[in-house]
Amino acid sequence: MSAESLLHVDGVSKTFGSGHTAVRAVDDVSLVTESGEVTLIMGPSGSGKTTLLSMIGGILRPTEGRIAIDSLEITTLGRRNLPRVRRELVGFVFQTFNLLESLSALENVEIALNIAGVSGAQAADRARSLLCEAGLEARLAFNAADLSAGERQRVALARALANRPRLLLADEPTANLDSGAGREVMRLLRELTQSKGHAAVVVSHDPRLRRIADRVLRLEDGRLSQGGHRGNALHAHHVAGASEPRGGVRQSLERVGRVEPS
Amino acid sequence: MVPLARRNLLVEKGRFAMSVLGVAFAVVLVLIVVSLYRGWSDVGRFYENLPGQVWISQTGTSDPFHSTSFLPLGDARRAAAVAGVRAVIPVYARHIAFGRQGHELDVFAMALAVPASLGPRARAYTPPRGSIDIDRVLADQAGVRVGGRLDVLGRLLRVVRIHSGGNSIFQTAFLNPVDSRALFGVDGLTNFLLLDLRPGTDPTGVSAAVMKLLPGTETHTAQEFATSFANRVTSGFLAVVGVLVGIGFVVGGAVIAITTYTAIVERAREFGVLKAIGAPGSFLYRVVLEQSLIVGVLGSVVGIAATVLVTRLLRRGVPEFITVLRPVDAAGVFLAALVMAIAASYVPVHRIERIDPAEVFRP
Repeated sequence: MSAESLLHVDGVSKTFGSGHTAVRAVDDVSLVTESGEVTLIMGPSGSGKTTLLSMIGGILRPTEGRIAIDSLEITTLGRRNLPRVRRELVGFVFQTFNLLESLSALENVEIALNIAGVSGAQAADRARSLLCEAGLEARLAFNAADLSAGERQRVALARALANRPRLLLADEPTANLDSGAGREVMRLLRELTQSKGHAAVVVSHDPRLRRIADRVLRLEDGRLSQGGHRGNALHAHHVAGASEPRGGVRQSLERVGRVEPS
Repeated sequence: MVPLARRNLLVEKGRFAMSVLGVAFAVVLVLIVVSLYRGWSDVGRFYENLPGQVWISQTGTSDPFHSTSFLPLGDARRAAAVAGVRAVIPVYARHIAFGRQGHELDVFAMALAVPASLGPRARAYTPPRGSIDIDRVLADQAGVRVGGRLDVLGRLLRVVRIHSGGNSIFQTAFLNPVDSRALFGVDGLTNFLLLDLRPGTDPTGVSAAVMKLLPGTETHTAQEFATSFANRVTSGFLAVVGVLVGIGFVVGGAVIAITTYTAIVERAREFGVLKAIGAPGSFLYRVVLEQSLIVGVLGSVVGIAATVLVTRLLRRGVPEFITVLRPVDAAGVFLAALVMAIAASYVPVHRIERIDPAEVFRP
C-alpha cells in the first residue's frame, strides 16, 4: 500500500432485503485512492454508484468487506462514531446541493464547522475564506434559495471542505448544472482537491467529468468492470485486490483520539 | 453558532405566530384560573382587618360566614374580666337577602358594636345608624353608589361607604349594631364576641381563660377564621382549578409539540443532510429543543402580558371577577411552560432519530 493511500475499499458488497427479494446493489468492489487524486466512477442508473458512495462515507454499512479512510477502518466502527467520521474525514457534495434553505451561503458553510465544534469568529472567518476561494465573496449573505444552481453547488463544495476532510465524496455534482456552471464546479473540485491534498471520489453519468479525473472506473450491476487513467479512460482494466489497510488502524486512531475506544 | 432553530421557525412566520399565540392562550387560561383561585383564597382576609384579635363563638362554629352562633350578651361582661382583654366587641352577623332591580341579592351582613374607647380607627366598619357600608361588587350588583339607598329587610338604609372586595360568591355589608339588633331580632343576644387585647397579651392564654369562664364557647384567632373561610371557599374549587390548569398545560404542550414536529417533518431532508455531514444526535436535539423553547418562552411572555391586561379589563367590566395575579404565580407558570416546552420536544426528537441520512442522495 502506498504511504499516501487515503481510501481502501476491499471486497465491499451491499445487499438490500433478504430471501427472494434480496438485491445485491454493490458486489465485491475493491479500490484504492491516493492523496490529490480524483477518482471518477461512472455507470448507468441503478448500477450501485450512490450505494458505494454512501458506504464509503459511512452512511450505509456494507454487508461484506472493509473500508478504511486515512487508515481508519470505518466498517468496524460503532454507530456513535460514524457521524464523527462524516464530519472529520469526509466531505459530501450532493446532486441536489442539499443546502439549508433558511440559511445564507455563509451560514451553510458555518454550520458544518459548528457541527465539528468550531463556532464564533473562527467559524465565520473559515467559512468566508472558503466561499471566497469558490468565487462567492459577493454572495455571502444571500439566502441559499436565492442563489443560482451553480452558486449553490459551489457553496456545497465549500461546506464539504469546511472541516478539512481527507476525502471528498461527490454524487453527480454537475447533474443539475448547465455547462458553464458544471465546468466551474469541475474546475473547483479539481483545484481544491489537488491544492489541499484531499482525495475525491466522484460518481456521475456526466462524461465531462472525465477531464478532471485522474482515474475513471465503471460500475455496472454493482461490479467495477472497467476503468482507466486520465487521458486513457477507454482503456479498460480490472481494479481488484486492493492492498490490505495497515493493521491496528483503530488502535492508532484511538491513541490520537479520533474515535472512542470500543 | 448559526441560529438554525430560529431560522427554521421564521421560515413560516404565520405558523410561528400562531404557535406563540397558542401557547400564550394556554398560559392566559392557566394564569387566569390561578389568579381567580388566589382571589377566592384572599376572600377571608377581611377578618384580619377588623378590630380585635380573638373571636368567641358558640362551640362548633367554623367561621361567621358558614355557620351560626348565638351567645348571651351577658357573656361580653364576663369576657371583659379576663386578664389582658382591653375591650369586648359584640358582633352581629347573618346572611340577608333582598330584592333589587328584579334580582335577589344575597349579602353577608355584620355589625360591630365597637366601644367608643377604641377610637375612630376601630370604628371604621361601624356606620352611623340608618346607613350601610357595602363592598364594590354588591354596589355594582345593586346599582347603587354612595348616597344611594338600599331596602334591607324592609328598611331603607343609606349607602355611606363602598369598600373594596367582594366576588361572585361572597359580598359583605356592615350595619350599625343598633339597626342590626332590630333588623335581626336578636335582643339580648349576639352572634360573636370579638376581644381586643392589650398590647403584649398572649392570645392563647386569653383563649384558655375564656373557654374556662364561658362553657359552651370556643375561641378562634382572626387568622384562624380567615384560613378556615379561605379553605372552605377554595377546597370546592381546587379540583376544578387543577383540571383547568392541567388542560392549559396539555394544550400549550400540544401546540409546541405540533409546531416543532411539523417544522421538522417539513425539513426532514435538511435534518437528513445535517446527519449526513456528521451532525451528532446532540446537535440535532439541541436545534429541536431550541425551537420548542423559543415558542415556549415567547408564548409565556405574551401570555403573561395578556393576562395582566385581560384581568385588568375584566375587573373593570365584571366586578365579581376578582383575580390576584402574583408575580410568583407568573414565574411559576413561566417555569412550567419551559418544562412543558422541553417535554413537548420529545416527539420531534423521536422523529429525527428515524430520519435516514441516506435519503439525502435521492434527487
